[in-house]
Amino acid sequence: MAELELDDLTKVFVEDDGNEIVAVDGVDVTVADGEFLVLVGPSGCGKSTTLRMIAGLESITSGELRLAGERINERKPADRNTAMVFQSYALYPHMTVKQNMSFGLEESTDMPAAEIAETVTEAAEMMGIGDLLDRKPGELSGGQQQRVALGRAIVRDPEVFLMDEPLSNLDAKLRSKMRTELQRLQDDLDVTTIYVTHDQTEAMTMGDRIAVLDDGVLQQVGTPLECYHEPANRFVADFIGEPAMNFFEVEVQGDRLLAEDFAYPVSNETLSTVGDRTELSLGIRPEDIELRTEASSPHDFETVVDVVEPTGDENNLYLTFDPDASEPDTFIATTGGMNRIEAGQPIVAHVPEDAIHLFDADTGQAVKNRSLDDAETLGRAV
Amino acid sequence: MDSVRSWLRRRIDSIQTDQQVRTDGGTASEVSQGERRSGLGRYLDSDAVESAPFWLPSFLLVGLFVYGAIVWNVIISLTDYEGLGDPQYASFDLENYRQMLQETGSYSFTNAFVNTIVLLVAFTLICLAFGLVVAILVDRDIRFENTFRTIYLLPMSLSFVVTAKMWLWMYSSNGGFVNRALGVVGIGPVNFIRNPDPNVQLAAVVFALIWQFSGYAMVVYLAGLRAIPDEHFEAARVDGASIVKMYWRVVIPQLRTATVSASVVLMVFGLKAFDFLRALYGNDTPAVGTDILPTYMVRVAFGDASRIAYGSAVAVVLFALAFSIVLPYLYSEYRRGAL
Repeated sequence: MAELELDDLTKVFVEDDGNEIVAVDGVDVTVADGEFLVLVGPSGCGKSTTLRMIAGLESITSGELRLAGERINERKPADRNTAMVFQSYALYPHMTVKQNMSFGLEESTDMPAAEIAETVTEAAEMMGIGDLLDRKPGELSGGQQQRVALGRAIVRDPEVFLMDEPLSNLDAKLRSKMRTELQRLQDDLDVTTIYVTHDQTEAMTMGDRIAVLDDGVLQQVGTPLECYHEPANRFVADFIGEPAMNFFEVEVQGDRLLAEDFAYPVSNETLSTVGDRTELSLGIRPEDIELRTEASSPHDFETVVDVVEPTGDENNLYLTFDPDASEPDTFIATTGGMNRIEAGQPIVAHVPEDAIHLFDADTGQAVKNRSLDDAETLGRAV
Repeated sequence: MDSVRSWLRRRIDSIQTDQQVRTDGGTASEVSQGERRSGLGRYLDSDAVESAPFWLPSFLLVGLFVYGAIVWNVIISLTDYEGLGDPQYASFDLENYRQMLQETGSYSFTNAFVNTIVLLVAFTLICLAFGLVVAILVDRDIRFENTFRTIYLLPMSLSFVVTAKMWLWMYSSNGGFVNRALGVVGIGPVNFIRNPDPNVQLAAVVFALIWQFSGYAMVVYLAGLRAIPDEHFEAARVDGASIVKMYWRVVIPQLRTATVSASVVLMVFGLKAFDFLRALYGNDTPAVGTDILPTYMVRVAFGDASRIAYGSAVAVVLFALAFSIVLPYLYSEYRRGAL
């Protein structure tokens, strides 16, 4: 077990024509011993490249990678004491489950055959695939293959688990089941884990901390709730959360934020955090918008429901200020599933000031995040 | 004329019936269609009959000239026909086959048979091994990969006659390239093609054939290698396998299908090496002792003795040999559901 430090890790690919592409740009994270860190970001953000650099499958252009304080940049993949789970599982199709799981131990250790067999059987029992040991991967279901791939990583007893979107080939039901199982497993084994995914739900639900990457640059590292409630910038705010946060481009005019369709009065407290910025993005999470029947405060806005998406437990409402347009600009509010609301219906959206986020329009940096007073009270009560 | 007209009417009927079936959502079953038609009409409407103009002519031609000829050849091999007059079909016996097994010495069926097997096995194995090594090298992301692939594959596109003539020059004991190269290290000159030792001749032939066909093995293996996902290579690296172990334990076992199909093709080419030998040795048949089955067959059938029936018997053995190579392959493909 050990702490893994990524110190200013950079990867530059040089194309045939000499063009340089910076895939990972100075990523700085320290993963504590036994921690479950999720690397999350959209496709092409460099999260897989980062993982592959840690695994040793990709060379490190600059920066340092340290395991338990020791530089491992130049070590071969086999000597890094990591085990990797691939998105496609990468099970060797001509070997049985047992052979697949033994392969790593046979190749990287001097362990006697009997001990290998014992370790493999043990890990297989733990993963609930003890009865599949003599089957070939082709005869297994997706979920079973997934377990074999995990089992193959577990038998290596590595310092660090590296997982590259391991659940993305499973169907939704199985995925959420494996999510829980994987978390429990990581808890039991207490092995430092780096988990790459593009799925923000996986990131939120599984990680001790999540690291959000965009375009090769680390945007924020924090606990899931920090990233959700106190995003460092507009990208994180947009990426984390489903449905995504609503954004409105606003201009500061006196004590009001002027958007295209509405004017939002703000308190002096908020104004002081805004400082002398004039162009801002106002962000509000869909669940923070309260729906009312009558406008009674300056933070209430009259809108019309454009589309209703019922998900059972709640309804996603697409609201618009401009119902006559053929493709109106909409923003999303969520409401309880028992509320009967229909498209075309006028409704008042209340946007509470303590729930709004403000971002600098140019840099995207967070200027003001929502107040967490409510959340903390709830936290203490629970 | 009447019959044509009625046939046309039937066709139109059937087209209309088809359309009805299509428009009502395809619920009408074949049984209900059958009820509407007479037995003969249904027979004439079947796919096999309707498509006959396309497949029947070639089917008949191939049937007659390929399979018919094979059958005729088998029949002749049972007679003692010697090329004069008509074969006597009255008395069939296995005399020719008995004679084959009894012959010994350097000019015999046994000798040609052994040479054929040696050529097949050596040629196929070395071709596969060489092709595999080159394919792995080409697959490892080298520069000018396409150029190398073309260079290796090019000899295969040449005709046997061309490559045989070229190797004749290469092997020439009178300043041929091979002998010059050997001369540098102080060996030779060696007379490869007319060497008194039949094994040297056979080795020279096998070597030239390998030169021509290892490119084919390479291409088949390269396709196989490309079909293996990168993750398998990476997983093996993370698992701690050395490069040799990675190929030996993870990659090469996955090339089984490529190996089987390449070796079948190579073996069949090896069996057909007649043109190569014929071109290599000019109009003469190879020197005594270096016959392979096809050249032995021609020698006995059209040589001095003109033992046509005996030659036919050799041809039957050759056919059985080719069949025994292809049949297991076809069967395994069928089992895999690829046929």
